[in-house]
Amino acid sequence: MRLSFWEILSRSREGPIVEEKEFDLSIFKKTQELQKQYKIKYDPAKPIDMEGDLADRIYQAGVELFLDIGTYCITTKRVIKVTEQELQSEIKACPEVIEMGQGKDRVEMCHRDVEGDQEPIVIAGVQTAPFSDEEMMFKICKGCAMNQKVDGIWGGIIPKIEGKHDVIAGTPSEIYQYRKTVEVLRRAINSAERPGMIIVNNAPTSMATIAMFDEEMGLRRSDYMEVTGMSEMKVAYDDLNRTAFALAYGVTIHGTHSSVIGGFSGNPEGASIVSVAGSLQLIIVQKAESFRCGTVDSRVKSRVSRAQLWVAGTAIQGLSRNTKLIVDGNIGDHPAAGPGTKQYLYESAAGFVLSTVMGAHSAEGTRKFVVGNICNYGTPLESNWMGEVCKGAVGMTRGKANHIIKYILGKYEDRLIDAPEGETFEKLYDQKTLEPLPHYKKLYEEVKEELRAQGLKFRD
Amino acid sequence: MDISKISQEQKEQMDALKDAIVTIDLEKARDVAEKIIEQNIDPRIVIKYPIAEAAEILGKKFDCGEIFLGNLVMAGDLIEEVVAVLEKHIPLDQLEKKKVIVIAAVQGDIHSVGKNLVSTMLRASGFGVCDIGVDVNSSVIIQKAREVKADMIALSSLLTTTMPYQKEVIDDLVSMGLRKNFKIIIGGGPVTRDYAEKIGADGYAKDAIEAVEEARRLLA
Repeated sequence: MRLSFWEILSRSREGPIVEEKEFDLSIFKKTQELQKQYKIKYDPAKPIDMEGDLADRIYQAGVELFLDIGTYCITTKRVIKVTEQELQSEIKACPEVIEMGQGKDRVEMCHRDVEGDQEPIVIAGVQTAPFSDEEMMFKICKGCAMNQKVDGIWGGIIPKIEGKHDVIAGTPSEIYQYRKTVEVLRRAINSAERPGMIIVNNAPTSMATIAMFDEEMGLRRSDYMEVTGMSEMKVAYDDLNRTAFALAYGVTIHGTHSSVIGGFSGNPEGASIVSVAGSLQLIIVQKAESFRCGTVDSRVKSRVSRAQLWVAGTAIQGLSRNTKLIVDGNIGDHPAAGPGTKQYLYESAAGFVLSTVMGAHSAEGTRKFVVGNICNYGTPLESNWMGEVCKGAVGMTRGKANHIIKYILGKYEDRLIDAPEGETFEKLYDQKTLEPLPHYKKLYEEVKEELRAQGLKFRD
Repeated sequence: MDISKISQEQKEQMDALKDAIVTIDLEKARDVAEKIIEQNIDPRIVIKYPIAEAAEILGKKFDCGEIFLGNLVMAGDLIEEVVAVLEKHIPLDQLEKKKVIVIAAVQGDIHSVGKNLVSTMLRASGFGVCDIGVDVNSSVIIQKAREVKADMIALSSLLTTTMPYQKEVIDDLVSMGLRKNFKIIIGGGPVTRDYAEKIGADGYAKDAIEAVEEARRLLA
């Protein structure tokens, strides 16, 4: 049985009051202690844990960390704690399969095993990025939705209303514009003849996110509500508003949390423990039914440095081996390089192969790590790549994944700091035919053939 | 305050303090600080040289991944404690006022990682830092800056839809006739130097190390 959300809310009002800095340092100190206790050691020469024993210890350490420090509610300045029995009951009571989408576009998102042959769900799209106008957003989203290896797509935002008024978080403009842009997204999937496909978007505030739900033209019960655990191991009432709405409305809750290498998680070993603990927070505090187990590095604007691959890979593997939870990895979602470059494809491929092989889905879209104010900074081809790589890696062994990932790391590892910026949709796609321009298509095929030669079995 | 008049023995004590800070050894730092006072070394020299040098070393160690945010927070606490001990031995009229920076992630933005890094690095570098958290609206930021008589306001934003709140703080300060009272520095994932110039900020930093350099430049 799952612990009542209202019990969690009570604990957020009645739990011990703690200074935020004290809580932050408790994460840092406890993870240092746990990595010694569980003999967790990161070896850069081995970006993948091949046996699973290390991943199991990371999982156990993550459970212990979560039970020891709990979740910090920044709204009430209190710590929400749960017992081991409550946590174990919650893990057992979480679904092993979720149904999403409608009609012919309906999919099942199930627990995946390490090296498992269960189909990974791929939710692509230029996640949460800005689009210049409705027409451009429609074109890009439709192109993403037409990829048959993609099960769902993320939306973004058109940051100007009437072409001149800024969309500002927490104001009426945010509610209006997020609602209007999700309508564009729905029109795009209808036009792509995938009307029941999962669509997702997440506004900065809960009120604007909730305003996107509408069975006719907005997000539906058959899509999902994303809830975010603040890094590291924190939550705010604005996050819990999303959970409350999702529970009342009856929509699947998908959580996301990242440990921070260099942050209070400390070293990669600490981050792997915090990645597990943050995932447990998402299911018991925020009531997620599936969740993204991730990490960021305070010094790298990408999610696929060697250390990040190890952190996310071992944490996901630990969760997949020790529970029946539905894990989302999506490690390759935010490369340092921009679209239209080989590096973008290399970086994202490393993460997507790892996610799939370690027992995860990939449900968080694909776009450059930092897009800033640049509009249309992504194309359907990156979504196609995401689908091709994730599905192509199904059933791959960790040994094979290790070989491929080491090969790919050699292609981009020393270019993460000064990664190529790439180009926008306008420079990479023919605006009439909506096909990738020859130079981009050629570059894509070259990387695909290169990885095929390394053993990635694309489903052509 | 003349560093050239420091004896070899005093220099060794100052080096020992620097080492204690860099290794975040609180006991040793307290012990050495007491000895420094016993030896009548000018505390202003100690603050200006070994402590500032230690902060710089810590920043570099963080930048190359040798230490982490948790270490920096503990080092910041240690530096504050040692400086407080030393300052008791500086005559009031010679006490250099610490530059104070109010830092926040602006309204609607709950992303704390970058803001925490900048906050911690500034504190470890000798600034007085008043970190008022995330999702803070303009009036609260300005009220706090006035209350603590801040020299600078640092504003973080990770979302394009919260960047306008960085501008709002500047606009509000202008409207209230307070703009000249505070230097403004901005940063965050989508924020650029061009944007900083466009909205009338005094400075921009792309990361925590740059934020320290920019703060030093603007508050020199």
